Amino acid sequence: MSIFIDRKTRVLVQGITGSEGSFWTKHMIELGTQVVCGVTPGKEGQLIEGLPVYNSVKEAMKHHQFDASMLFVPPKLTKDAVMEALSAGIKKIVTIADGIPLHDMILIRQAAKEHHAFVVGGNTSGVISPELAMMGSFPYWIERVYKKGNIGVMTRSGSLTNEVTAMIVEAGYGVSTLIGVGGDPVPGTRFAEFLPLYEADPETKAIVIIGELGGTMEEDVADAIKNGILTKPLVAFLGGRTAPKGQKMGHAGAIISGGKGSVEDKIKALTEVGALVAERPRMVGKLLEKSNVPKN
Amino acid sequence: MKLYEYQAKQVFKEASIPIPVSVLIENQSELNHALDQVGLPCVIKAQILSGGRGKANLISFVNSKEKAESEVKRLFNHEIKIKRLLIEQAVDIKQEIYVSITVDPFLATGLLIISAEGGIDIETLAVTQPEKIIKEPIDLRYGLMPYQASQIAYALGFSQAITKELIKVLMNLYKVFVAYDAELVEINPLFITNSDTVVAGDGKLMIDDNSMFRQQRFERLEGDYKTEAEFDANQEGIPFIQFDGDIGLMCAGAGLTTTVYDLIHYEGGTVANYLEFGGPNYKKAVKAMEICLKVPSKVILIVTFGTIARADVMAEGIVDAIKRLKPDRPIVTCIRGTNEIEAVRILKEAGLEPLFDTEEAVRKAVSLASGGIK
Repeated sequence: MSIFIDRKTRVLVQGITGSEGSFWTKHMIELGTQVVCGVTPGKEGQLIEGLPVYNSVKEAMKHHQFDASMLFVPPKLTKDAVMEALSAGIKKIVTIADGIPLHDMILIRQAAKEHHAFVVGGNTSGVISPELAMMGSFPYWIERVYKKGNIGVMTRSGSLTNEVTAMIVEAGYGVSTLIGVGGDPVPGTRFAEFLPLYEADPETKAIVIIGELGGTMEEDVADAIKNGILTKPLVAFLGGRTAPKGQKMGHAGAIISGGKGSVEDKIKALTEVGALVAERPRMVGKLLEKSNVPKN
Repeated sequence: MKLYEYQAKQVFKEASIPIPVSVLIENQSELNHALDQVGLPCVIKAQILSGGRGKANLISFVNSKEKAESEVKRLFNHEIKIKRLLIEQAVDIKQEIYVSITVDPFLATGLLIISAEGGIDIETLAVTQPEKIIKEPIDLRYGLMPYQASQIAYALGFSQAITKELIKVLMNLYKVFVAYDAELVEINPLFITNSDTVVAGDGKLMIDDNSMFRQQRFERLEGDYKTEAEFDANQEGIPFIQFDGDIGLMCAGAGLTTTVYDLIHYEGGTVANYLEFGGPNYKKAVKAMEICLKVPSKVILIVTFGTIARADVMAEGIVDAIKRLKPDRPIVTCIRGTNEIEAVRILKEAGLEPLFDTEEAVRKAVSLASGGIK
């Protein structure tokens, strides 16, 4: 089992005919993802990886059923594409676009909440359950990173996720489901909102979050632990411990939030509720061992 | 993109938010004309992008022409580069308040923040006296409703005349927030004058960088940057920050670059610059190295672990950059991710000694920077 996506999840790809869209559709299928069709306005009638392309989501729905939509759509057009998917009743949407306007993202998150849907991203690699299925752009073929196992991973980064996950695998663990919430200041879905899914997943034995300075998503996770929403062990790695104060570094996450958001604040909030915080990526595996998380 | 005070105030004026009479000058000879317009007493304000101008003595209140001349001279000759001064009429202040509109990522709303304690650092006040701050979420689908602005304005307890002016300012400030795709628009302090008017004493407007394709009114010029490296990086859209340490970072991925920055400090090293050439910039190794070489540093450390930013493409770019630019300092490489085996081959063929572990690469860079063995 996994959360969010497995081999039964029927996936629509919006923006399937673009170079990224077609490239990653091929890889999603190769990993085992059930991609059913694609949408690109004006490209109806084409075939991509043997899959039919439609002009709109509504048109695609006449011919297929799907549970999720993967967007390979440019940042400027993302709000429109997400609204199209939401209005079609799709409850799981992943957008990898890097550069979605801030005010657009606010409206996207608002609409997702209203439709009781998950919008993952933007500015993310997406969601992957290694050796099963993915929505997004992960180098799943790098086995020292993308190995199946019992650790649920959530992250705000791309390259840093590869770095930390490689350390989880080096320690003898693997990943159940990895969700990249993305590096933007307003992600469609926040860390804490996925915790009930991980908590209910029998395959996930512990959670690793890869966070960084800015925002309050890590503090929300601490609150969820305090409130008993997550009872499984949690290990965090947080970038930006030594970042100079008042300097925007890393992703554009550092928006004012009443003096909150420094890595110090996050470490304090997480350790107070019993989570472990790794100082270096390599420590993540060691802290999972310390939490007595079984290896498979 | 952060605007200068004078730009933000220009936007405010167009949005019918009252600002003091002012003139922008770029050299000493323009002062006389400015004083004719503004009169005395006046305030001379350095137009720079960093905050804390008051404490740094970059804002002067003057009440004579002689004093104005000497202050303008002092500021134009200041060690930090000041290109423009705003000469502003002094305001007869009764009270200073704080107003801003920003974003609430959790609620997915705009957020109006107001406090009767103006002129202070709002982040500090949020920690020390959070009860003195009023916050009102704004649903971007409907915008700031007049009842919300009115409710907040009345809650501050001013006279009817002031309250009416304040409501107008709030409504107009929200228009600026939307029209400029702002991540923050702030008036701190907003003056309440002795003649019961409301005037913006300062102006901060930060436009969301992701919205620049539809926000083309203001652009940054070369003279607005502290260094040539900073200007070049911005022209290329490469995230870059200059420090004064020893190790130049040329990494890919915002989170990974920040982590390498931390690891260098854990190992006792210092950072000369933060440069992140991942994402859309992963084919710009030559430009990235050119920028790094403009920064005084003892070693350049390259760490990547990319997906779409393929390792082999980055390795080829790095080899090309070394051939073209002939760097005068050692380069440490740690290139992983998609096609990493090929990347290692490319780097070795070019005579480099690629490392495969981030911490090992960091230790090597720190050792080289402190005069260790190459």
